[in-house]
Amino acid sequence: MSAATRSVARKRPSGRKALLATAMLLVAVASAFPLAWMVLSSLKTPAETMQVPPVWIPHTPTLDAYEKVAGVINVGRSMWNSLVIASITTAGILITSMMAGYAFAKYSFPGRSLLFSLLIATMFLPPIVTLIPLYRMVGSIGLNASLAGIIVPNLANAFGIFLMRQFIAGVPDDLIDAARMDGASELLILYKIVAPSVAPAIAALALFAFVYHWNSYLWPLTVLQGNADAYPIVISLSRLLSYNRGAVNTGLVMAGATLAVLPPLVLFVFLQRFFVDSIVGSAIKG
Amino acid sequence: MAKAFRASAGIMLAPAVTLIGVFVLVPMLLTVWLSFQDWSTQTPFSEASFVGLGNFHEIFGPTSVGRDFKTALLNTAIYTALSVVLILPLSVVFGLLVYQRQVAGGTALRTVLFSTYMVPMIAVALVWSKLYAPSEGPLNQLLGLIGISPQPWLSSPRSALVSIVLLNVWQQVGYFTVLAIAGLTQIPSSLYEAATLDGANGREQFRFITLPLLRRTLLFSAVIAIINAVQVFEPVALITQGGPVGSTNVLTYHIRRVGIERAQGGLGSAMAVMLMISLIVCVSALFAFVNRKDSE
Repeated sequence: MSAATRSVARKRPSGRKALLATAMLLVAVASAFPLAWMVLSSLKTPAETMQVPPVWIPHTPTLDAYEKVAGVINVGRSMWNSLVIASITTAGILITSMMAGYAFAKYSFPGRSLLFSLLIATMFLPPIVTLIPLYRMVGSIGLNASLAGIIVPNLANAFGIFLMRQFIAGVPDDLIDAARMDGASELLILYKIVAPSVAPAIAALALFAFVYHWNSYLWPLTVLQGNADAYPIVISLSRLLSYNRGAVNTGLVMAGATLAVLPPLVLFVFLQRFFVDSIVGSAIKG
Repeated sequence: MAKAFRASAGIMLAPAVTLIGVFVLVPMLLTVWLSFQDWSTQTPFSEASFVGLGNFHEIFGPTSVGRDFKTALLNTAIYTALSVVLILPLSVVFGLLVYQRQVAGGTALRTVLFSTYMVPMIAVALVWSKLYAPSEGPLNQLLGLIGISPQPWLSSPRSALVSIVLLNVWQQVGYFTVLAIAGLTQIPSSLYEAATLDGANGREQFRFITLPLLRRTLLFSAVIAIINAVQVFEPVALITQGGPVGSTNVLTYHIRRVGIERAQGGLGSAMAVMLMISLIVCVSALFAFVNRKDSE
């Protein structure tokens, strides 16, 4: 910035503020536009979705597209499958992560840092690297084409262990030792003393795990092998695009996408504090 | 700590270590082993027969197997590089917009930006396939308003991959913005106060304080962005199926097609091993680069 423009900026702080506000508004609009367009289009008539120039706001909002979605895919069943997959996986991740996180934070045992590094390394492994043998393994224990096949391999993950260790390390040792003096077992201490002290981190992990496994696509698609009864909503959705391709499926696709987006987005809106805090926590402490 | 806790440590670690061992570490080792085998994914592992470096010769060879793999490798490299190059600067700019205290609304902006990260990639792909529609799609209509001719987006081999990069950036940039904000909050405000006293302007402060102190954050962001980028799958599987003419055939999509759909488990595993090696090389190079900058 030259001296001249600097003095202009100094002389006209309101101009600078207006510029900032405009930039913020532009970014927000660009970011929100696709989802707003999705919801608006899901309420349009088929004719309106094809109109050029486009209709931005539907003249006579209609839920027809949602009805049509229900005719093409089994919405209730798919949402239920997604809920089962995301909930059970999340519960498993919470339990395994808290136990292992507690061990890494509060015990010393031979090979601790080596084992921890080995587990953390798996955090950076893209799932495709293990997909082929994992598909075969899950098939050979008879879990393919089932919800169990989606869930079981995901019941523990390195990110959860990492996050829990970071936060449990901050729980005072005195608190734990006092409970030990009283004769409490280690599992009881974890449940009664440690868990309540790291509740926000547990909430964050629960939300992350739930949203991640609600949204997850590659593994369920691979393991289910066309068993439509077990499809989670994100896989059922992919069938909407090929339904009546081109012609009037825009409203249908947008209505289906809206349905799939709602649960994670609602969770986020209410609980975003936990999401953001844990990302910040894992980045800084990491 | 006391010996008595060794047994407890074992119990506490057993579930997680067993699960990650069986479902991540074992398959990873199997992938490496299978990359040296001729093996059909539809048969038990015991049917595999050793072929040495045969699979690697084939995926880098002159046949269609080799051509497709090399295209997928190149596409993935372009896709990853473009994603990182777009996401990192945007995350810093957006982070500064959220973090500044001159205009209210930063937190609201963060919420809007981060919300896209919650959207399932499959829904992102569905919505953007309609946003990109050549005639009735709103993107070309908006471009028309400012006098730019309609773009072919996903339907041209020249622009399809970039179009998928753009939807990926849109979805992910909020997450990286939050990381950037985390980095910004770590910079002591006293540095800026001292710089202001010394007469440094906004641009100089950004250049000599903000950027250098964000280096660690940006390194972390770059690593995560690279690992996320090589996982791109849904938009390709759903909209382009790798086309037009192979222009969006990326590794995650290609490896699954070869290793699962065509059941060529040995070839697919060799490709997965190459992906793993490429990632390790990239990330190590990044670390080396940043560490050298640090010691300067």
